[in-house]
Amino acid sequence: MFDNNVFIPGTCHNVEEDGKIIGYEMDTHITYYRGIPLSMINFLAVEVDGVKVPAENIRFTPDHIDWFSLDEMKTVRTIKWEYGAPGTVRVLQEGGLSKGSHEVHLTVCTRTAYIPVPLEGNMTRTVVIE
Amino acid sequence: MGIKSSVSLYSLQYQYLRGNMDLDQIVGYIMSLGADGIELLPDQMLKGTPNPTEETYAAWDKIIEKHHPGLACDDIFLNTNLYTNRTLTKRECIDLIKQEIVMAHRLGFKVIRLVSMVPAWILEPCLETAEKYDVSLCIEIHGGLGFGVPKTEEFLEEMIRLDSPYIGIVPDTSIFCRRPPRVVDEYCMDIYGTNPDLVKYVNDVFASGKDTFHIRLENNGQNPEMDKYIKDPAKDMFYAANCDGYENVPLSVMDPFAKYIQHFHFKLYEMTNEGVEYSMDYEEVIKYLHEHNYNGYVSTEYEGNRWVKPGGYIPEKEQVAAHQKLIQNLIRKYEG
Repeated sequence: MFDNNVFIPGTCHNVEEDGKIIGYEMDTHITYYRGIPLSMINFLAVEVDGVKVPAENIRFTPDHIDWFSLDEMKTVRTIKWEYGAPGTVRVLQEGGLSKGSHEVHLTVCTRTAYIPVPLEGNMTRTVVIE
Repeated sequence: MGIKSSVSLYSLQYQYLRGNMDLDQIVGYIMSLGADGIELLPDQMLKGTPNPTEETYAAWDKIIEKHHPGLACDDIFLNTNLYTNRTLTKRECIDLIKQEIVMAHRLGFKVIRLVSMVPAWILEPCLETAEKYDVSLCIEIHGGLGFGVPKTEEFLEEMIRLDSPYIGIVPDTSIFCRRPPRVVDEYCMDIYGTNPDLVKYVNDVFASGKDTFHIRLENNGQNPEMDKYIKDPAKDMFYAANCDGYENVPLSVMDPFAKYIQHFHFKLYEMTNEGVEYSMDYEEVIKYLHEHNYNGYVSTEYEGNRWVKPGGYIPEKEQVAAHQKLIQNLIRKYEG
């Protein structure tokens, strides 16, 4: 139902810090119709070319000010992921994505106050690293 | 006075999400349709709620001064599951609702819509704050979470016990579906591969004057007839669960509660080329409200935007405009 919100096209790229590629990241909208504190993000998952990324390598920021691991987000109540503001999912992986074409799959899952099942959105995009 | 039309900004959420329209443009668009007012989900189009910055409040004030919308209703949520390891305590919930009341007052709203399933025990401890800020607390009576559901019934009992003008209800027309939404049927068959026989069964149930929600409610959560059509859970379960969110009850279910209605959600799944809503008969609803001397807003809530196939055009502006035309004509017809 919220699949279209997930993984904004053209946003996936490798991330360079201090001259080294430390990983890759992509932007996504929330899988809900309103903003929520980060503690209500149930989980984020990334799969590249059919291989799951270890959860502990995933980081998230709703605003490029503060970054959190999935475990850390569980207690973040004052910082919100606002509706309409893309958040960034980063995967820490030395060297990032290799040159060429990759099938990158992103899952975003949020909890809501009154819908008994979490709201999961999925999207696969073909990403070309040049 | 009398029945007034408004539009929930929920209806234009993809315009906002995709950056096609900002809050100012959305409010301006709604007022250009001849609506009397707007309904807001603060969590959706204001940042930092329930404690936004003065800068956010100032931007809101500017929009209101520019377009002069009536402020019909403030839709709030209670994040009882804020954390994974526990549910919020009563004290935490009450504190959150009080913060929402203060924000609603600052934004200019006099009616809060509490999302379905907000516990009844928040009412008495929050009543003094509601009175102080002149904001009423009204539970949403939504399809699948409506009359007969224990938490909703508890709320209604508490509402009657406390008997305050600051406590009421917001019925949602999803409880008056005469047909299940066609856009949902088509979406589930196309995207999930839902069994067409299951879809036909649900449509037949509605055509017979019943709904699947009540069949389940009256049979201890079971519906063996429907289960026969669930051939592949991966394809069929979502549709089967989702269709219990639409009810097919008579308008008379509201009779005992008519005096408590403070706002009304006019759900919109699909306006047809004939200028009517596919699932609900809005003439019967407006006629009922007129005959019961309803004095408040009826608010377009377009939900068909959820059921557009991936990559498809989401006709939010067109659907809202067509629905407002229908509603405003009906209000004129009955109210003069």
